[in-house]
Amino acid sequence: MSVVAAPDLLLLERHLASPEFRLGQVEGRWRHVATNWPYVTIAVSAAMRPNAPAEYGFRFLCSGYPQLAATCQPWDLETNCALAFGRWPTGRAIVPSVFRIEWKGGVCLYIPCDRLSIEGHVNWSQEHRSRLWDPTRGIVCYLEQLYELLNQSDYTGVRCS
Amino acid sequence: MSECVLFVQAQGDSRVVEVVVPENVSESALLARLKELGMLGAPNLLVFVDEAEDQVGGETDRPVAGVRHGARVHITACRKIRVTVHYLEKTVERDFAPGARVRNVKAWAVREFHLDHKDAAEHVLQLCESAERPSGDTPLHTLLQGGCALCFNLVPEKRVEGAF
Repeated sequence: MSVVAAPDLLLLERHLASPEFRLGQVEGRWRHVATNWPYVTIAVSAAMRPNAPAEYGFRFLCSGYPQLAATCQPWDLETNCALAFGRWPTGRAIVPSVFRIEWKGGVCLYIPCDRLSIEGHVNWSQEHRSRLWDPTRGIVCYLEQLYELLNQSDYTGVRCS
Repeated sequence: MSECVLFVQAQGDSRVVEVVVPENVSESALLARLKELGMLGAPNLLVFVDEAEDQVGGETDRPVAGVRHGARVHITACRKIRVTVHYLEKTVERDFAPGARVRNVKAWAVREFHLDHKDAAEHVLQLCESAERPSGDTPLHTLLQGGCALCFNLVPEKRVEGAF
């Protein structure tokens, strides 16, 4: 008996094979680590900082993709579990406003393109239009924002270095 | 013969197209391949590799400078892009290569406006008369909407805030 893959998985795989995603991989901005449906784990490169890693893992929940936004949390690629709060990225102002360990117990990022965080924030649709989830670009629009955050001068490294 | 993948972007379009060419592809062969794919339809279109200032000439069998696996190729009608950046009451202006990234424009503007490290981190480029804040990796020509000029405002990065 053949098993039909879920449409949301097929659409995610299409985006993971798109030129936009592959360009990010070739340029070293991110790399696909694993897909374990409905999750996909992707590592995003970070600017060099003392005692900080060259990349951070993120696990995205992608059920309903791409019409439903993904939600993601920092992920430990070695142990395959949630990243310890002390190893989350931080910074001076902008980066810590997104990587908030107190927000929903650390299961998602405080960013408008995140499925869980956009709930109840009707003002974000107007105030952060360029940071919203875009179903036509899917996971790439989330990854671009993570890469920007981890490669700007505001980023200082890990919380407990 | 080994091959390499190029990522091609056309003016005013954020989409990316993958094109496979032989390693050490010549200038004439690259242009021929782009024509074959229907990407060089108009006679005024120019081709640039990554952030190069000089266009790819079509007459030579010389290997294209800068082509490597994963290089970006830009198709545009503009030889240069005139960029204007406003910050408070000040304005600066200069030309950039079509494939120059938004990140480089910000770095230049930060220097011109003498922003310190902290202020630089808390400001971003936003297209004039728009809410769009393109990512740092965006090549300039993909943002063009007619003409060969772009206007940005250097604005404070809004922290994401709301009720917890």
